[in-house]
Amino acid sequence: MSEVFLEAKHISKSFVGVKALDDVDLTIGRGEIHCLIGENGSGKSTLIKIIGGVHKADSGTITVEGKQLSGSQAIESIRSGVQIIYQDLSLFPNLTVAENISVNQMLESNQQTVQWKEVRETARKALEEIGEAHISLDERVENLSMAKKQIIAISRALTQNAKLIIMDEATSAITKEEVDHLFSIIQNLKKKGIATLFVSHKLSEVFEISENITIIRDGKKVGVYPTSELDHDRLVYIMTGRKLEAEPYVYDTKMKQKSPLLEVKSFSKELQYQDISFSLQPGEILGITGLIGSGRTEIVQSIFGLNPADSGTMYMNGEEVKISNPRDAIRHGIALLPEDRLNQGLFDAQSIGDNIVITILKNFLKKIGLLDTTKQKRSANDWIERLKIKTPDGNLPVNSLSGGNQQRVVLAKWLAINPKVFILDGPTIGIDIGSKHTIHDIIRDLAREGMGIIMISDEIQEVLDNCNRILLMSKGRIIKEIDDARTTTSEELYEIVTGAASAGVEA
Amino acid sequence: MNIKQLMKHNETYILLIILIFSAALTMINPVFLTLENMFDLLRSSSGTAILAIGVFLVLLSGGIDVSCTAIAIAGQYISVNVLIATGIDSIALAFLISILIGVSLGAINAVFISIFKLPTLITTLGTSSLYHGLLLEVVGTKAVNAGDLPESIKAFGKIEILTLTRADGSSYGLSIFFLILVILLLLTWFILKFTMVGRGVYAIGGNAEAAKRTGYNSHKIQFFIYCYAGFLAGVMGVMHISMIRYGNPNYLVGTELSVIAAVVLGGARISGGTGTLTGTMLGVILITILEKNLILMGLSSYWQQFFIGVVIILGVSITYAQNKFQARRNLSIGGA
Repeated sequence: MSEVFLEAKHISKSFVGVKALDDVDLTIGRGEIHCLIGENGSGKSTLIKIIGGVHKADSGTITVEGKQLSGSQAIESIRSGVQIIYQDLSLFPNLTVAENISVNQMLESNQQTVQWKEVRETARKALEEIGEAHISLDERVENLSMAKKQIIAISRALTQNAKLIIMDEATSAITKEEVDHLFSIIQNLKKKGIATLFVSHKLSEVFEISENITIIRDGKKVGVYPTSELDHDRLVYIMTGRKLEAEPYVYDTKMKQKSPLLEVKSFSKELQYQDISFSLQPGEILGITGLIGSGRTEIVQSIFGLNPADSGTMYMNGEEVKISNPRDAIRHGIALLPEDRLNQGLFDAQSIGDNIVITILKNFLKKIGLLDTTKQKRSANDWIERLKIKTPDGNLPVNSLSGGNQQRVVLAKWLAINPKVFILDGPTIGIDIGSKHTIHDIIRDLAREGMGIIMISDEIQEVLDNCNRILLMSKGRIIKEIDDARTTTSEELYEIVTGAASAGVEA
Repeated sequence: MNIKQLMKHNETYILLIILIFSAALTMINPVFLTLENMFDLLRSSSGTAILAIGVFLVLLSGGIDVSCTAIAIAGQYISVNVLIATGIDSIALAFLISILIGVSLGAINAVFISIFKLPTLITTLGTSSLYHGLLLEVVGTKAVNAGDLPESIKAFGKIEILTLTRADGSSYGLSIFFLILVILLLLTWFILKFTMVGRGVYAIGGNAEAAKRTGYNSHKIQFFIYCYAGFLAGVMGVMHISMIRYGNPNYLVGTELSVIAAVVLGGARISGGTGTLTGTMLGVILITILEKNLILMGLSSYWQQFFIGVVIILGVSITYAQNKFQARRNLSIGGA
């Protein structure tokens, strides 16, 4: 390794008696691209915050360029060249690009008045430095895409003489092409001697960008490895401590019915999707993939009655059904696990139990119209057990759970209505690899029991590993249907999806 | 700036409405479009405009202030009573007392909002009632007639910065109120555009969490906002009594909704972060023309209340519709 820029040694930290970090080391060289990975709750965020001076470590030292930090002041970390870009980016949507980039410097200089010439100059320089001078300084940030916003956040970090930029889950909301662009920016920064600490769940990206990987598990450092010495399986093994192997899902054709469980015929909706037809048999896991904006989320929202189609017909077990709102869908046994589970799937301050039984509250009504809370609790606890939701008490609020467990609560909530068709939109977004496998296992079990499942995912590999049939979408159309997932590879699917997106709809 | 860019601005639309409205009024009654009437309009709307500046600032920061009128009447009524009781007949003292009261009451709002982190609407609703109730109980409810009113206050309301003579030899002019408004507008514009505190108002209105993380002192900014709004209310209080030459502690309170309506009409987003002073002033002009000319249009003055309600509901609906439209666009193909 080249010259050391930052060295964190023997870092330990507890929150109300729970050990979040236990004797963790992290070393980052000048201009190095380093990845920090670990499952949810492994202590990644805590470590970042300690390096950034947001939290104070209980013990251990942080040294930047040979100088030890006192470790309790954010401003000290910032002055020594450490910049954190949080997932939410901390930008001001109502202000211009120029002001957003320069705001830290404006505050840092302690001036009482604003020199607009300087503000623009600072911003222009920062954008130029990462080769993004084409972004208009006067545009309001709210009008920019997520990827551009990220560039603004990086530019802002550069105005602070950043020598290490920490990016927390930077790629979770941007498309593949934008990720590539972001990576080229990171490579550019490296050439200027600026190091990046990249925190991510997406292992393929970790392999693409990093030079070294530090892995932590349950608050302890498992090890640091040069990326070239690892491969996917080994990394997963080190990270989870388990061997997690993907076995393709095989559909048992005996389950096939004469008329399919669900059939969609020529669904169209202006500006969203055109002429979508497909069918689903009991026991099938049907994957739908395509880039963001391909229409995949919109089509399943239509099936669930959230976003009714302009035209087209839908059949269940051969009979035509009309679904114009989610109540209709639920009555017909259709459930939807939404993409954004926090906003659309959970009442996050309410208890775990109440969240699970909300879809079936009716079942607990006593004759006089009051709820039978004992019965309600019993049912909730049943589900907590069945889906192995890790909690000491079902009365705790949902937001006390980790991401993977929250997702299980949403699953339980929909399983409680006993659906025949279960649509999962991005079931494992933002969930670490260990929990991901548990959720995949649950989904497979459900299918084996005869449920029809539609699974939408960004990750082609995920679809490939878990679905027996796959639909590829681009620009609102189904461009290819793959009848047996075992006959194709992720590279092939990726070619088709990206090729169609750039070439047009003809493919 | 070309037409296309102009049409993007909310201000352009309000200006158009004002022009169409004025043209219609002039057709009904040609007196409307005389310099004398314009001067009169400016004089009578200056007070609302000054309160509107304060409300605009609060709205910009993501809050809402319904206590501005209660603060204005407290400043007015107390300062006039002090002048009468002490026998010191000085307009400067009246302004000083009223402003001090305004800033103090604003600071109390800020304590609840900034330090105790209470919601702004509930806080100002509460303090508004509290300030007004205390005023009536402690200072009194007796109206101050023109005869009892200190001379300096009456004289101030008559000062003209520009006097013109009619054909018959009598004169009319542009009130000093307009000058005060212009000075306060320039001051506020300068603060918002060129000081870090002013930029902080935009910052906390846009993303309060990010403002804290970047190092804006949000306590300082919120104290500034509410004290400044209180200062403006204090100025307005004295102006108001010198204009109508009659003091009643039950005046003004209840008109805060039309001030808020003017600001919302001027394009300030109710969710904070966006809006302009120009828009706010245009909003005030439109509301004032509406209020003053309903009778001219043959409508009862009760319609005024009705229209204020319509404006507020419409203003909020438009913001909501814009957000929803944005969300739709992100959902459709090629969006995001």
